[in-house]
Amino acid sequence: MKDKFKSSKWQEVINWAQKRSLFMLHYCTGCGAIELPPTMTSRYDMSRFGIGPAATPRQADILLITGYLSTKTLRRVIYTYEQMQDPKFVMGFGSCTINGGMYWDSYNTIKQLDKYIPVDLYIAGCMPRPEAILEGFMELKNKIETGNADGYLRYKEDYDFYKENQEKVLGEVKRRQ
Amino acid sequence: MRNESEVIELIKNKLNPLDVKKLRTQNLAVTLKKDELISGLNYLKAHSYIHLATISCVDWIDDNEFELVYHLFSYEDKINISVKTRIDRKESKFVTIKNIWAVAQYYERDIHDFFGVEFEGNDDMDELILENWNDIPPMRKDFNTREYVDEKYEWREYHG
Repeated sequence: MKDKFKSSKWQEVINWAQKRSLFMLHYCTGCGAIELPPTMTSRYDMSRFGIGPAATPRQADILLITGYLSTKTLRRVIYTYEQMQDPKFVMGFGSCTINGGMYWDSYNTIKQLDKYIPVDLYIAGCMPRPEAILEGFMELKNKIETGNADGYLRYKEDYDFYKENQEKVLGEVKRRQ
Repeated sequence: MRNESEVIELIKNKLNPLDVKKLRTQNLAVTLKKDELISGLNYLKAHSYIHLATISCVDWIDDNEFELVYHLFSYEDKINISVKTRIDRKESKFVTIKNIWAVAQYYERDIHDFFGVEFEGNDDMDELILENWNDIPPMRKDFNTREYVDEKYEWREYHG
């Protein structure tokens, strides 16, 4: 049923509209935060691609994780992610989110972001320059248009997998309905 | 305003230190016995060393001791003093100085997080930086970071 709906003409129209208006919540955990002001402002100007910064999780479409996540921060990221409205997309930014980066042997930072929340796209680099971020956004827009940016659906389907991994590193994760 | 050698003389005469030395310009290191530390800090605070910058801790695992370092600064002398004392590593207990500097409460919580040192009199010893930590304190020298990481996290597999 869902697949049928996904591939329908109406969904194509939704995807078309979706990819042209993306609001980004940048969760600035690490040094990647410094690459975002030039990306947002006039030098690289990401608003020409229809992407703008959002103030709160409930208004955002993209969650951009810009760097390493300590376990304490991961808990806040999970709260943030679960507050966001569907459809929502997660971008992992920098090598720290991919394999731990320079914090690979730290006792307190997670090594693979996609074990805890579903990641649609990684931008590799330490740090990626604004050009790379924009390239990542273009790729995300392609994925949205073709219906491949389905991280939020995977989160619902594989919720047990994610929850198990989250609880392994965090202990209890409190959720209020 | 005193210079370094005058402050060293003052400390030597009044505080009965185990060791005093000038590390470089505007930097002194003083080692006190642990019973005399509180009175020493009180004395220095009364003599213009009113700023407690931080408290740090060093794990001397071979000597089986922790070293607590209280970093003081005087706005009049423009001199930093590191007041050091050593406590036993097995029974890692010391007295709080939150009655002298209220901010010390947080520094002591931090040291309790990372080294497991208890401070008597400081009753708020909840985790400050770490969350749900269930191993030995991570900044101790006998904490094996690699082993812990191997156990808790998974490495990404690469193909090709």
